[in-house]
Amino acid sequence: MQLFDTTQLALEAAMHGTSQRQTAIAQNIANVNTPGYRRQEVDFEGQLSAAMAADDRDAVRRTAIVQRTDASAPVRIDGNSVDMDVEAAGQARNGLMYQALVAVTKARTGIIQSAIGNR
Amino acid sequence: MGLFDAIDIAGSGLSAERLRMDVTSENLANAQTTRGADGQPYRRKEVVLQEAAGGARATFASALEGAMGRTGAAPSRGVQVAAIVQDSAPNRRVYDPGHPDAGQDGYVELPNVNTVTEMVELISSSRAYEANATAMQTAKSMFTRTLDLLR
Repeated sequence: MQLFDTTQLALEAAMHGTSQRQTAIAQNIANVNTPGYRRQEVDFEGQLSAAMAADDRDAVRRTAIVQRTDASAPVRIDGNSVDMDVEAAGQARNGLMYQALVAVTKARTGIIQSAIGNR
Repeated sequence: MGLFDAIDIAGSGLSAERLRMDVTSENLANAQTTRGADGQPYRRKEVVLQEAAGGARATFASALEGAMGRTGAAPSRGVQVAAIVQDSAPNRRVYDPGHPDAGQDGYVELPNVNTVTEMVELISSSRAYEANATAMQTAKSMFTRTLDLLR
């Protein structure tokens, strides 16, 4: 077992993706009154889970974070597709997800530290 | 770094919504102004927002991500004010022959400001301001969590 195994790399990639998603949500909220703006969404879970399933360390480390325009969201009469309730819910979920990732990372770091005897 | 971008973006949203509120206040304050800067009745003003142009920035973070072989997402820059335009709606005409600015027919040209519309704008910009403040708060608390990892 390596010190930083696939799970650790996956946690890092997920934290990266989650913070990018928070940026996209902030962008959507900032543009809630911009005519013609289409909401942005971030996806990394698909690629990450495929790389995890294949247990490919390198693919996990290079997980691409894709930010794209959400084509399925309903568009308002001014051409804007931001729904404040959707963004608020996504923000709450994303923030909790990030907290969970940090908690797991912290627990794992604690295990390594106690193995080293650095407690 | 992603989370700092999120804070900047929420900040751009805050200042855009604040400007909308300023302009709405100006409209409300001048709802009865028959002599504007050009001597004509005041014209209602409206803020036009646009998505701030993204574009690759040569930052330390983007260089680091490129070197690590991680394809970064397109950078976002928030929102910006494209223009403050005048509303082209016709002026209100009110019959008031005693008014010093009344025309020959006794009608006064009043600004094309509808107080109810402005109140709705005020509520809308105030709510959007709150949402941006919450987005900033969320990014901030996420960042604080990351710092907790170091303890």
